[in-house]
Amino acid sequence: MNRMLQEAAVVGIGRTKYVRKSGRTTLAMAAEAARDALADCGLTPADVDGMTCFGTNGSAGPSQVAHAIGVEDLGWSLSIAGGGNIVTTTVTSAATAVLSGQADVVVAYRVLGSDTRYGKAFGTIQAEGEGQFAAPHGYMVPPQWFSMYARRHQFEYGSTCEDLGAIAIQQRAHAAANPHAIGRDLITIDDYMASRWICDPFRLFDCTYEVDGAVAIVIVSAERAKDLPHKPVYILGAADANRFAGSPYQWDDMTTMFSRDTAPKLWARTGLEAKDIDVACMYDCFTFTVMATFEDFGFCSKGEVGDYFREGRATYGGDVVVNPHGGLLSEGYIHGMNHHYEAVLQLRGDADNRQVPGAQTALVTSGAGPFGGALVYGTSQL
Amino acid sequence: MTDTAMYPPQPSPDADTLGFWQATAEGRLAMCRCQLCGLWHMPPLERCRECAGPTAFEPVLGTGSLYSFIIQHHPAISGYTENLPYAVGLIELDEQQGLRLPARIVGIETSAIVCDMRMQVVFEQLPGGDYVVPVFTPAIP
Repeated sequence: MNRMLQEAAVVGIGRTKYVRKSGRTTLAMAAEAARDALADCGLTPADVDGMTCFGTNGSAGPSQVAHAIGVEDLGWSLSIAGGGNIVTTTVTSAATAVLSGQADVVVAYRVLGSDTRYGKAFGTIQAEGEGQFAAPHGYMVPPQWFSMYARRHQFEYGSTCEDLGAIAIQQRAHAAANPHAIGRDLITIDDYMASRWICDPFRLFDCTYEVDGAVAIVIVSAERAKDLPHKPVYILGAADANRFAGSPYQWDDMTTMFSRDTAPKLWARTGLEAKDIDVACMYDCFTFTVMATFEDFGFCSKGEVGDYFREGRATYGGDVVVNPHGGLLSEGYIHGMNHHYEAVLQLRGDADNRQVPGAQTALVTSGAGPFGGALVYGTSQL
Repeated sequence: MTDTAMYPPQPSPDADTLGFWQATAEGRLAMCRCQLCGLWHMPPLERCRECAGPTAFEPVLGTGSLYSFIIQHHPAISGYTENLPYAVGLIELDEQQGLRLPARIVGIETSAIVCDMRMQVVFEQLPGGDYVVPVFTPAIP
């Protein structure tokens, strides 16, 4: 069991507002989130010597953001190509840079602007790679990939649209208590069932809320963390998994996701299991992502997620609080970096009216389909 | 928006995939297969991922079962903003378990589509270019 990662900690968190259309550049938003995260932990840009981010297009890179906030010499800079699947890797890379002595203070961030919207694809499109076999059929955006998974799960396990709705409803109820969330109006199962089809079996409320915004977190060594104002939040362990060249449609068993590989690795590396988790920030680009990964991480058996949510086991007073901020579905789509913000806030005990009482551990997953990762944060080292 | 934006996405073949599109242009479905061990590959590869043997495109029966499907209602993609909804499926070809091809499903009411139903290939000209795409329709028993 290698527990080196827990010698690194998240000490600062920052973010912008999440809005549908900001009118701002990704550089401006990333700079704001980075400054906010540094101010949160009493550090300044002069202390920063490492920066990393992930993205697919339209992002602002580490060297740009570092320059924009006044960092003179960025000693360690890593821009990772990827989406929600690569968030864990981004955070653990920052930790590894600190632990290997390549940097002392690393800012990890994700920024999304109005030019990046994953739910649609217009214009003249030349589809390359494996996409050339799918896109000509009008099949090329994420809600289509993962509704394909949901259909197979419904076929094999008898899960229903109402089960997916239970996830959407619960997360919206959580978001209602979160002033930072973009979707705060409560919804009922009737509202859910009446919402328009996007791609059957997904309705509108099965899909994430795409926004403009940025989240940044500051990572330092556990030793350095002792001198900073907040209670450190330690990275207790992490795991990633990748199969099928990242192809969403070649993945063999669509009732599962990357988490079937990630979960056993993560539990083995940490010695923890689902019952040890107080807060579960489950990556939720779509409701079904929560369903599949929740099963894979062992919170319940196949086909039981709908009942689990309906019985109140995924909220306050239940077994584990799932996405207390409302998740990507209701707080907003910052590609999973907002899950890290929320996990740290909860473990510090600073989540105000949505605080999970006594929260000591948080699972944060990232990704959907054929690739993704997860890590566990804790208030103390293992 | 230019005029071409009304057309569906066009395939952009490379050295590994060209054989697929050459076959469909002739009304044939051909998939990438290892010439040493016989393993089929999708997406195509220059060399076999199991034995590193050379690959070539070989004809397949064009029949399979429907692993999963969706009914797209929302206008999200160029060339697919009219004639909604439409169905897209993942067809597992009979040649090998897990050998899947994404394709539109035609010739059936969307409400009648079910997982694991038997399918067979037909070919359609893709608007906006020179490509022929394989689409699938319920197999005639």
